[in-house]
Amino acid sequence: MKLVRDCLDKQLVDKHGKPMGRVDGLIFEWSPGKQPRVTEVEIGAVAQWRRVHPRLGDLVDRVRRRIGVVKEDPCLIPWKKSVSSAIEVVTDMEAEKSGALDWEIWLRKKIIMKIPGA
Amino acid sequence: MKKLLEISLGIVTSIGGFLEIGSITTAAQAGAEFGFQLIWAILLGGICVIFLVEQAGRIAAISRHTIPGAIRERFGFNYFIFLLVIVGLVSLLVLASEIGGICIAIEMATGIRFWWWALPVGFVIWLLMWKGPFSLIEKGTSLLGLITVSFIVGAVVMRPDWLSVLRGSVPSLPSHDQARYWFLAVSILGASISPYLFFFYSSGAVEDHWDENYLGVNKVIAASGMSFGSIISVAVLILAALVFPPRGLKADEYSQLALLLQDAFGYWGFVLLIASLGIACLGAALEISLELAYLAAQGFGWNWSKNQRPRDEARFSIVYTLIILLGAIIILVGVDPLQLTILSMAFTAATLPVSIVPFLFVMNDRYYLEQHVNSTFTNAVTLVIILLASVVALVTIPLHIFGGG
Repeated sequence: MKLVRDCLDKQLVDKHGKPMGRVDGLIFEWSPGKQPRVTEVEIGAVAQWRRVHPRLGDLVDRVRRRIGVVKEDPCLIPWKKSVSSAIEVVTDMEAEKSGALDWEIWLRKKIIMKIPGA
Repeated sequence: MKKLLEISLGIVTSIGGFLEIGSITTAAQAGAEFGFQLIWAILLGGICVIFLVEQAGRIAAISRHTIPGAIRERFGFNYFIFLLVIVGLVSLLVLASEIGGICIAIEMATGIRFWWWALPVGFVIWLLMWKGPFSLIEKGTSLLGLITVSFIVGAVVMRPDWLSVLRGSVPSLPSHDQARYWFLAVSILGASISPYLFFFYSSGAVEDHWDENYLGVNKVIAASGMSFGSIISVAVLILAALVFPPRGLKADEYSQLALLLQDAFGYWGFVLLIASLGIACLGAALEISLELAYLAAQGFGWNWSKNQRPRDEARFSIVYTLIILLGAIIILVGVDPLQLTILSMAFTAATLPVSIVPFLFVMNDRYYLEQHVNSTFTNAVTLVIILLASVVALVTIPLHIFGGG
């Protein structure tokens, strides 16, 4: 597998096919004498903006802590629970429980559900 | 039979969806100031759109990827965020112009100044988005948009000199006001090759569950629909060339647009113009709001589909809600919709390469398209479109300064 081509920026979906975000980063484990190994997939605003500039990532992280909606960012998805297909990366997790949808859930509860017809 | 119905609906959708405030305004000003001389710019824009829309539909049918999704995957987050900011800002201006267009149509009908209508119009657009399924937005407004065919009937009724119309199909140098001529040519291209059109089209193909069997349908819809759409724009230009110069008008105020169909149909021409302007702008406003929400959701990997309830796609729904509110506020504070339209068409033209260049890379990627990658001919045409878009992008701002009027 070519990680950048077949995994980075791909759509990540949970075991029910629900979108969780896109793969914003990959975490590697380096051990002496061994090949590097992917351990986790990163998703979330902090990981995204770090790719533009590390300081932007830090700024987004400070804002995130102040707002307090998202508990963990980047959200880390274990690599061993994920499979990369032609279109998306599928993980054996529940999207709503993973932390990847904290903003989605917050907006749904605090704003969207208060509007008639939602 | 089902395919035939799809093709008919697709063509109708394209005709109804093609014409909007930008194409009406730029075509009307071009006709008023340069007669039939700028018809070639509309035809050139139409040809470019046919090729881009066909590619947007093909990638969706083969790979189930939309153009924004593929751009994020192949060009990374940094390019995607650049595209989102540029296309987002330009689309916001275009959306505000469309809301302004609807408000102007209501002002023509009621006499009440346009800005009073900004929030009610914004609310109606939002309500249609909030409650309506994709089919209502895509096909409902576009079917109503068929009323814009009245421009073609009007142009025929006015009996133009068809030989002069044909001559206008070939580029020629103007006898006066060169900067203005080229500015209008560039604005027409900006109005025709709107990124929202092909982003919306690829999302629509995914929403409608297109697959490989739809490749033929896609070609027919792209070619016929966009051609008919261009013909309606040409009809607006012909009418403007016949109606405005004898009255010494330059279509530099929206109130003058009311005259476009009056010579052909009398009082009913006025009614048809109001209905055409209002419905064309409503259709475009819905498409642009949806396109911006699609763009953000597809790039960030959120849940998106106009066929789901807002509660199931909170972020997607928030994006179009905020965008519509912002667009309505721009008109509410009294920004002149005509100036805004001209400015937004120029900005669209200036930023075209940002959204068109990725086509060449994505459409040649076998990972997405397998054996359906671009042919040499389509690549050559796309390359020409990119070159054209780059030249247009370079000259738009200087031309706006010297020929923006």
